[in-house]
Amino acid sequence: MQILFYISKRVLQTIPLLILVSMISFFIIRLSPVDPLAELKLNPSISKETLKLEQQRMGLDKPLPIQYLLWAKSFIKGDLGVTTTGEKVSVKLAERIPNTLLLTIVVIFLTWSVGVPLGVLAAVKWKTPFDRFLTVITSIGMAIPSFFFAILMLIFAVKSGWFPVGGLTSYNYDEMNFIQKFFDIAHHLFLPVTVLFTLSLAGLQRQMRANLLDVLDSDYVKFARAKGLSENKVIFKHALRNAVNPMITLLGFEFSSLLSGAALTEFVFQYPGLGRLILEAVLKSDINLVMASLMIGAIMLVLGNLIADILLILTDPRIRAKA
Amino acid sequence: MIKDILNGIFKDKFAVIALLVLCFIYFCLFFAEFIAPYSMNYTDRELSYVPPSPIFLIDENGKFSRPYTYNYKRTYDADLMQTVFKLDRSKKYYIKFLSRGEEYLYLGFIPMDRHLITVENSGRLYLLGGDINGRDVFSRLLFGGRISMTIGFLALFVLFPIGLLYGGISGYFGGVTDMIMMRFAEAVMSIPSFYLLIILAAILPSNMTSTQRLTLIVVILALIGWAGFARVVRGMVLSIKNQDFVKSAKMAGASDLRIIIKEVLPQTASYVIVAMTLSVPGYILSESGLSFLGLGIQQPDASWGNMLKEAQEYINILYRPWLLTPGFLIFIAVLSFNLIGDTIRDILDPKSRIR
Amino acid sequence: MKQKIYIIFIIIFLIFFLKACIKRDVPEEEKIKQNVVRSETNFTFPSEQKNVTLNGVDYLQSQASIGKFGGELIESTIGEGPKTFNPFTSKDATSSSMSGLMFDSLFTTSPKDGQIVPKLAKSYKTKDGKTYIVNLRHGIKWSDGKPITADDVVFTWNEIILAGLGNTSTRDAVMIDGKLPKVEKIDDYTVKFSIIKPFSPFLRLMASQIAPKHIFEPITKQGAKAFDMFYSTNTPPEKFVTSGAFRLKEYKAAQRVVFERNPNYYIINTENKQLPYLNKLVYLIVGDLNNEILKFEGHEIDVISLRGSNVAPYKLKEANSDYKIYNLGPDTGTMFLAINLNTRKNSDGEYYVNPEKQFWFRDKNFRTAIDYALDRKNMVQNIANGLAKPLFTAESLNSIFLNKNIKGHERNLLKSKELLQKSGFRLNSNKNLYDKFGERVEFDLYTNAGNTEREAIGVMVKQDLEDLGMRVNYKPIEFNTLVNKMTTTFDWDMIIMGLTGSPLEPHDGKNVWHSDGSLHLFNQRTEISKIDNRLPFEKKLDEIFDSAALKTNFSERKKLYDEYQKIIYDEKPIIYLYSPIRIVALRKKFKNIYPSQLSGITYNIEEIYEDNN
Repeated sequence: MQILFYISKRVLQTIPLLILVSMISFFIIRLSPVDPLAELKLNPSISKETLKLEQQRMGLDKPLPIQYLLWAKSFIKGDLGVTTTGEKVSVKLAERIPNTLLLTIVVIFLTWSVGVPLGVLAAVKWKTPFDRFLTVITSIGMAIPSFFFAILMLIFAVKSGWFPVGGLTSYNYDEMNFIQKFFDIAHHLFLPVTVLFTLSLAGLQRQMRANLLDVLDSDYVKFARAKGLSENKVIFKHALRNAVNPMITLLGFEFSSLLSGAALTEFVFQYPGLGRLILEAVLKSDINLVMASLMIGAIMLVLGNLIADILLILTDPRIRAKA
Repeated sequence: MIKDILNGIFKDKFAVIALLVLCFIYFCLFFAEFIAPYSMNYTDRELSYVPPSPIFLIDENGKFSRPYTYNYKRTYDADLMQTVFKLDRSKKYYIKFLSRGEEYLYLGFIPMDRHLITVENSGRLYLLGGDINGRDVFSRLLFGGRISMTIGFLALFVLFPIGLLYGGISGYFGGVTDMIMMRFAEAVMSIPSFYLLIILAAILPSNMTSTQRLTLIVVILALIGWAGFARVVRGMVLSIKNQDFVKSAKMAGASDLRIIIKEVLPQTASYVIVAMTLSVPGYILSESGLSFLGLGIQQPDASWGNMLKEAQEYINILYRPWLLTPGFLIFIAVLSFNLIGDTIRDILDPKSRIR
Repeated sequence: MKQKIYIIFIIIFLIFFLKACIKRDVPEEEKIKQNVVRSETNFTFPSEQKNVTLNGVDYLQSQASIGKFGGELIESTIGEGPKTFNPFTSKDATSSSMSGLMFDSLFTTSPKDGQIVPKLAKSYKTKDGKTYIVNLRHGIKWSDGKPITADDVVFTWNEIILAGLGNTSTRDAVMIDGKLPKVEKIDDYTVKFSIIKPFSPFLRLMASQIAPKHIFEPITKQGAKAFDMFYSTNTPPEKFVTSGAFRLKEYKAAQRVVFERNPNYYIINTENKQLPYLNKLVYLIVGDLNNEILKFEGHEIDVISLRGSNVAPYKLKEANSDYKIYNLGPDTGTMFLAINLNTRKNSDGEYYVNPEKQFWFRDKNFRTAIDYALDRKNMVQNIANGLAKPLFTAESLNSIFLNKNIKGHERNLLKSKELLQKSGFRLNSNKNLYDKFGERVEFDLYTNAGNTEREAIGVMVKQDLEDLGMRVNYKPIEFNTLVNKMTTTFDWDMIIMGLTGSPLEPHDGKNVWHSDGSLHLFNQRTEISKIDNRLPFEKKLDEIFDSAALKTNFSERKKLYDEYQKIIYDEKPIIYLYSPIRIVALRKKFKNIYPSQLSGITYNIEEIYEDNN
C-alpha cells in the first residue's frame, strides 16, 4: 500500500518535469530561423489542405506560447502530426521502435554481463597492474570516434565476407524458417553490437569499480574484515550486495537510452532503428518527428528513474522504511 | 594539490607517456605555421589526392645523400578511368630546414617566412599527401588540430562557471530556489543529449563567419554538459554549507554570493579538476561527430573532424590511407586525455562516480 | 638492470625507426598494363518490340534473345525509400520508379533514339497533332483478372489526372492556354485525346500510367485526402491491383522493397512465353553512396552506379571479376553556378540583393569574366577523376536537342581581367578588386553541405574567383536552408547547384527558363510579381519556350532550342560547369543487357535474365 502511494506520488512528480522538457525542446526547435513547414511547402505532393491542417494544428501564425499550448494539446490527445513527407509520425515511430529495442537490449545485456564482473575484478585488485591494465584497455574502446569505428567494421565485413554490410535482415528473410531467421538477425546484429559494446563497456566497468571501492571502504566491511571473515566472503557476501544499489539506479538510466542510444552507429550501419530516423529528421528539420522523439526520449528517462526507484524500494529495506 | 597530481602522474607509466604525447601534440599545434610547410589553404590543383612525397636518403647510385624528394606528375589513363601519379625524376628537390618559404603571420600577427622544413619553390613537399582539392594534409592537420584540440577546453571555460555558479546557488540557498533550479536542470538532462546537440547545431544560421561558428559550437557543447555538472556540484555544496567555516563566514556578515564563490566552491576543486580532464575527450569526440554530420566546422576551414569526414568514403579508406591520419590523431589524443584523467581521478577522488 | 633493458628497447626502436626513414631512390618498374576491358560507348539494341496477336490477345513481343526463367536481381535505392506506391501521388524519383514497375504506362520511349513506342497501349494515330486516337490491347488483364479497357484510361485521365488529384504536375503540363485536354471513350479499346492546338510535349505526357477504375473509383469519390493516403507504403501487398511486369511482395521500412514476377504480363518472348524472366526484383534501401558501394563489394547488390574516383578501383579489377562496367556517357545531370540577378524588394521594402551587388551581377562583362575564370579542366580532373565533360550549355550533353555549335572555351584569366576593366573594375595594390564606385567586390557563395563533390567544387570556384581579386565568402549550408533561400527568401548571391533535365524534352526546363517559372533561379519572381520588368534576354527566352512547344516538327523545334542555349551561353545568368559521365557496374550473370545513353541499364527489366553459367 505504502509502495503504491509512493509510486503514484512519483508519477505525479514527473508530470511537471515532462512539461518542462517539452517546453525547452519546443522553444529550442522554434528558435531555428527555418520555417517548420518549409519542407512541406516545397513538396508539391502535399496538398494545400494538409498544409492548412498542419498550420492550424501548430498555429504558426500565433505567438510562440500559444503555439506551444496547441502542440501540447494535440500531443496529449495522441496526435503526433505528420512528417514533412506527409506520413504519420506515429506510424513511422512504430515501425522503428522494435528494431531499436532489439539492438539496445542485446547491447545492454552484453555490457552488463561483461562490464560488471570486470568492474568487480578491478576493484578487488585495486591499485594492482591488472586494475590499471583493465582501465587502459577499456579506455581504448572509448577513444575511437563511434562512426569511424563503425565504418572500419563495415569495411572489415566486406573484406572478410563474414558479415553482411549493415541492415537488419536479409532480402529473403521472409522465406526463412524460425531458426534461420534467428541466425540471420544475429548475423546482422553482430557488428553494430560489437561497436556499441566496445564503446559502452568502459563506462560501466569504471562505475562498478568505483561503487565497490566505495563499499569496501565503508565501516561495516571493515567490521566484517575485523571479524576475521575471509576476503572472498567479505567481498561476495557483504560488499557486493551493497554495491548493487547504485547499479540499479544506473540500470534505470540505461533504460532511457534504450530508444535514443546509438544514432551515429545506426546511421553508419544503416540499421532501421529509431536513432537513424531521428537523426535524419533533425537534419531535415522535420519538427513533428523531432518533437515526438525527444518526448519519447524524455519519457523513457523519467520512466527509467521511476523503475529504478521502485526496484530500490523492493530490494532495500532501509529505503522502504523511509518511503 | 597540484604537487600530488604531478607526483601521481609521474608514478604511472601510462600517464607519463600520455602526458608526453599530449605535450608534443600541443607543442606542434602552437608552432603550426612554422612547422607546416604550407598554409592551411595552400592549393596545388594538379595534386588532388596525391600520395605522400617520398623522402630519399640514399640516391640512385646507392650513396648517402641529403634528404631529397621528387615531384609527382599527374597523368590520366582513360582506359582504366584512373588518375595516375608518377614521380618526376628529372629534378631532385633537396629538403631545406629553417628556410624561407610561403609568407605567413605567426599566430595571426607576427610576419614570418621561415619554415621548419620546406623545399625549393617549384617543388612540393606533401608529407601526408593531398586532399581532394590538392591541399597538403600534413599542414591542414596542424591547423585543424588547433580547433579540435582547443574546442573542448573552450567549452569547459563556458560550462564550468555556469555549472559551478548554478549548482552553488541552488545548493546554498536550498528550499524553493533549489527545487525550481534543479527541476530545470533535470529537464535539460532528460533531453537525449546527442539529439539536443545536433538540433542546436542544425539551427545555427548559415551566414556566419568561421569564428562565429566556432564560438557557437563551443557554446552548444557547453550547453549540453552544464546540467549534469551543476547537479553534482549542488550535492557537494549541500554538505559543505553546513560546515563550520561557512557558518563563521556567514556570522562575519559576508554576502551570500561571496560565501558561495570564496568559501563553498573552492571545496569542490578536486571534483572539478577530475570532471574537467575526463570531459575534454568527450568534447573532442563530439566535435568529430558533428563534423561527420556536416554540422561542425565547415570547409574550407580545417578540423580533424571535418578532415576525417573526407576519409569516410570506402574508396578513400582503402586506397588513400593518408587521409585517415586525423582519425588516428583523434584516437591518440582522446586516449591520452582518458589515461591522464583516470590517473588524476584515482589520486584526487578514488571513489568518484564520474564516468 | 631494469633501466638497461629500457635503454636497449629504446635503441632497438630507434634503429628500426631510422631504418624505415632511410629510403633508397630506386626507379619503380613500369607496371605492365593488365588486360584492361575497354568499355564501349556504341551500343547495339535488339530490334524493336512488336505487337503480336495470339488467341485474340494483343501481346507485345520482345525481340531480345530467349533466356531462362527464374533468378533474382537485387538493386538499391539511395535515401529513405519510397514514400508511396501510388503512381499518381508520388513526387520523388524513388517512389515514381517503384510505382512505375507496378503500373505500366500507355507508351514508353525507345532506348535507342527516344522515340515513342507502345507499351500498355497498342498504337496511336494523329493527323493534325490535335487529336490522338489510342488503340488499347485486347485481352490483357489487371493482376486481379479484370480486363484493362478504355474505361480505365478515361477514368484515369478524367477523374484523377485532370481532376487535380495527387501530384498535379501532369495536369499543369498539359494545360494549353488555360484549357485542359479532352479524353473520350470511342469503344472498349479505343480512346480519343483532343487538345486545342498542336503541342509537341503532349505525346510524352499522354503516355501516363493507368489506374484500375474498379479499385480507384471508390477512393476518388472520397476526395483528395483519401486519395493521397491510398496505396501508401502501409498498404498490404496483396491489396495492389497492378498492370506492370512486377508486383509488390514485401515492403520493410528503411530496409527493402521486394517485387515478384507478374505471371500474367502482356510482354512475351519469341517463343511466346510470358515475361518477365526474373522471379524477384529486390530494392535494398541504403542511406548513402558509401554504403551502396560496400554492399556491391559485399555482393549484396548486383548493380551500382559509380561516379568519379569510385570507378578506378572497380575498373582495375574488372577483368578478373564477376561484373562488367558500362560507360553510359554524359549524365542528364548538370552542375552549375547560378548568379542572382534579382533587383526586387521583399515585403519589408528591403532589397533581396544589395544594390551594389546588383550592379555587378547585372553586368554581363562581370558574369562573363567569372565564366572565363573558372578552371573546368581541373574540376573534371580532380573532383570527377576525369569522368566528366566540361559543360557550357543548358541542355545536357546527351540531349537530342543539344546545340553542338557552342564549343565553350578554356580558362582565360587575361580575358576575364580585360572584361572587368572594361566595366570599370580595378585592382588596388593588394590585388583586391574594387568596382568603379570604390566598393570592394565581395559576395557569398553557397552550396549544400554534405555533398563532397559540390563542396569541393565550391572551394575551387572560390579560389578561381579570388584570382580575379574578388572576395568570396564560401559557405556550404544545409540543403533545406539552401532551397528555402532559392525559392522563398532570395537572399543569396551565387549558388552551386545541380539539376536533372530530360534529354528528350527541353520543354521540361520551362520552369527554370520561363520568367514566371517556379525554379527561375537567377531572377525568381514571387506570385505577385509574376512577369514584371523582364530583362531583354528573359523576354526572348519566354518567347522561345512558348513557341517551341507549339511546333511539332523536330528541326523547327531544334532551331528554337539551339537559340535558347546560345542565349544562356552569351548572357550567363547560369554558368554551367560540367556534366558527369555515368558508369554502371552490373554482374556478368545477367544477360539481355542493352545499355542505353537515354534509358540507363535495367530499363528492359522484363527481358533481363540470370544465367549462372
